[in-house]
Amino acid sequence: MEKMSETLVEVKDLKIHFFTDEGVVRAVDGIDLDVKRGKTLALVGESGCGKSVACRSFLQIVHSPGRIVSGEILYTRKNENGQGEVVDIARLNPHGRRIRSIRGKEIAMIFQEPMTSLSPMYTVGNQITETIRLHTEATKQEAWQMAIDLLDKVDIPKPDRLVEEYPFRLSGGMRQRAMIAMALSCNPTMLIADEPTTALDVTTQANILDLMLDLQQQYHMTLLFITHDLGVVAEIADEVAVMYLGKIVEKSDVNTIFNEPKHPYTQALLRSIPKIAVTREELDPIKGMVPNPYRRPGGCPFHPRCAKAMAECRTVVPAVTQLNDNHTVQCLLYEDLVGEKAMEQAK
Amino acid sequence: MLKYILQRLLYMIPVMFVISILIFVTIQLPPGDPISKMMENQRTQINVQFSEQDLEMMRARYGYGGPLHEQYIKWIGNILLHGDFGYSFYKREAAGKVIADLMPLTLVVSIGSFIFTWVVALPIGVLSAVRQYSIADHIFTFIGFIGLAIPNFLLALILLVLGLTMFQTSFTGLFSSGEIQQAPWSLAKVGDLLKHIWIPMIVIGMGGTAGLIRIMRANLLDELHKPYVEAARARGLSELRLLIKYPIRHAMNPFVSGFAYLLPSLVAGEAIVAIVMNLPTEGPVLLNALLNLDVFLGGGFLLILSLLTLVSTLLSDILLAWLDPRIRYGS
Ligand SMILES: Nc1ncnc2c1ncn2[C@@H]1O[C@H](COP(=O)(O)OP(=O)(O)O)[C@@H](O)[C@H]1O
Ligand SMILES: [Mg+2]
Repeated sequence: MEKMSETLVEVKDLKIHFFTDEGVVRAVDGIDLDVKRGKTLALVGESGCGKSVACRSFLQIVHSPGRIVSGEILYTRKNENGQGEVVDIARLNPHGRRIRSIRGKEIAMIFQEPMTSLSPMYTVGNQITETIRLHTEATKQEAWQMAIDLLDKVDIPKPDRLVEEYPFRLSGGMRQRAMIAMALSCNPTMLIADEPTTALDVTTQANILDLMLDLQQQYHMTLLFITHDLGVVAEIADEVAVMYLGKIVEKSDVNTIFNEPKHPYTQALLRSIPKIAVTREELDPIKGMVPNPYRRPGGCPFHPRCAKAMAECRTVVPAVTQLNDNHTVQCLLYEDLVGEKAMEQAK
Repeated sequence: MLKYILQRLLYMIPVMFVISILIFVTIQLPPGDPISKMMENQRTQINVQFSEQDLEMMRARYGYGGPLHEQYIKWIGNILLHGDFGYSFYKREAAGKVIADLMPLTLVVSIGSFIFTWVVALPIGVLSAVRQYSIADHIFTFIGFIGLAIPNFLLALILLVLGLTMFQTSFTGLFSSGEIQQAPWSLAKVGDLLKHIWIPMIVIGMGGTAGLIRIMRANLLDELHKPYVEAARARGLSELRLLIKYPIRHAMNPFVSGFAYLLPSLVAGEAIVAIVMNLPTEGPVLLNALLNLDVFLGGGFLLILSLLTLVSTLLSDILLAWLDPRIRYGS
């Protein structure tokens, strides 16, 4: 039990800023995360809150003008002797050999747009074998056979035919399966999936999710799943981190998040999903829009849209409050509570 | 693929037919009977007397006097059946021979400029995009704009002046002397050609190179952040392999389709430069033929140039289909 919850990646106070002509965008503004080995962590939030940027930093593929400004991404990798070795990914040179040996081999990633994440110029097989040949000693023929087996594994019909097809001849669902096959090709420790089902229709979405869950079991993979859809979270996550404007506002296990959400933003998100709201009247989209990234509100970034906002919220940036071992929230409402608790304990 | 090429070749026939009619109508537009006019011109310039019989013979051979469509059929029939492009009154020899004499060197200069354009534009365009806003990018952008802004005949003149004042050599012509130009082909002649051809190549290719650098840079900037590039990077590819396999390969498309327009525009751009630099290519001869109402020579040249344009379009389309599977599958 203890062994299961061992930390694979620990993110500490990570800040990623974009330095544009119009100003600095604090896309990721000091987040802490624990990715547990073999578990699924869901990163949830409305679009534009910094989920993609955050997960790209795990592979050092944040593109300019974005840059990791500070913080650590401590990744525990197994070296040849099977011993743990901690690497701070945030410190690695983005063009260097070390990060490249992690990319695709130890940490693989699948993206939101299956239609454009595969190049139309090369066959599916060409792009899958590229990864295999890069990270293993396999010959061309071996890699090709492995590609066919992988396509079979992700339930693609007639994999020996499809391996020779060009991506633009496949449906979105098939392409996403091919992307998953590619991600699995080197048996990665961790899979990052950035909204892998968002661009797909509902039935395909469900199939792909099932497939991913199934493969996670088979390959004993750690999964970092990014989504804006809480319905998906309920289905797959062990742990949930809720993100708003570059900050993680609440973090806990999936049951706690769904049954005892503390942050007003988490509560609002939950009220906005049709499946969980019981009647139509209860369905309640979050008021207002995600603010312009260049004009981030002072104090708590959520206060302009928050139903429970107080006067202090406009000026005071809430600190991370540890509600219990496995539940943190970043909201002034709970800072006092902890203070009171501490006082009580002191008595 | 083979079917596609055959199909395209078949399409060329009606297109060439229409073009030939247009050319014929254009060269016949000036009023009067070109043969009498030519004879008249020649009589005043050089005291040659043509008898009325000569004129009649010529007229009969080229169908003058008859209705226009009959003249056209005679003209195109002679070309297609006998390879007879008619008589050049200005050069005073068979138009076909004039064209055949000039075409090889013209093509050498044009294709040379074309290769120069590609070889220079491709790496500079890539560098400018990958290192966007770097010092190198700014320098090449600046040079590129100058290259676009300076007409190439002016560049030719500048180089000629520089050559004469600084190196005491003349950059004109393609060969060191007239004798070499007349001599039959030999290794020495080729060597002499190579020594001279690079200046016209640069001058003629300059504008196209500058334009192509801009195109390559813009295309590549578009490609560099495409999701498939990011996905390939996330698989662990090194930046150089990544760049060559994905963005450059994708950015090549507009580059290759430019091929279709580049060849004819080089031939056209070459004319003025050839006059300035005294090159033994078709440009100046075509211009003079048109100025002197030398209908058969002018028409013949235009016909060959049109055919070259069609062929280069076909070549670029085949290249595109070979390069891009989306075109092969017609999606
Ligand atoms: N190239 C860029 N230039 C400037 N800002 C950017 C760029 N890419 C992302 N951002 C900023 O980062 C924020 C987070 O983006 P992203 O991580 O893609 O959001 P999400 O994946 O949660 O929808 C965006 O609001 C945007 O302002
Ligand atoms: Mg995103």
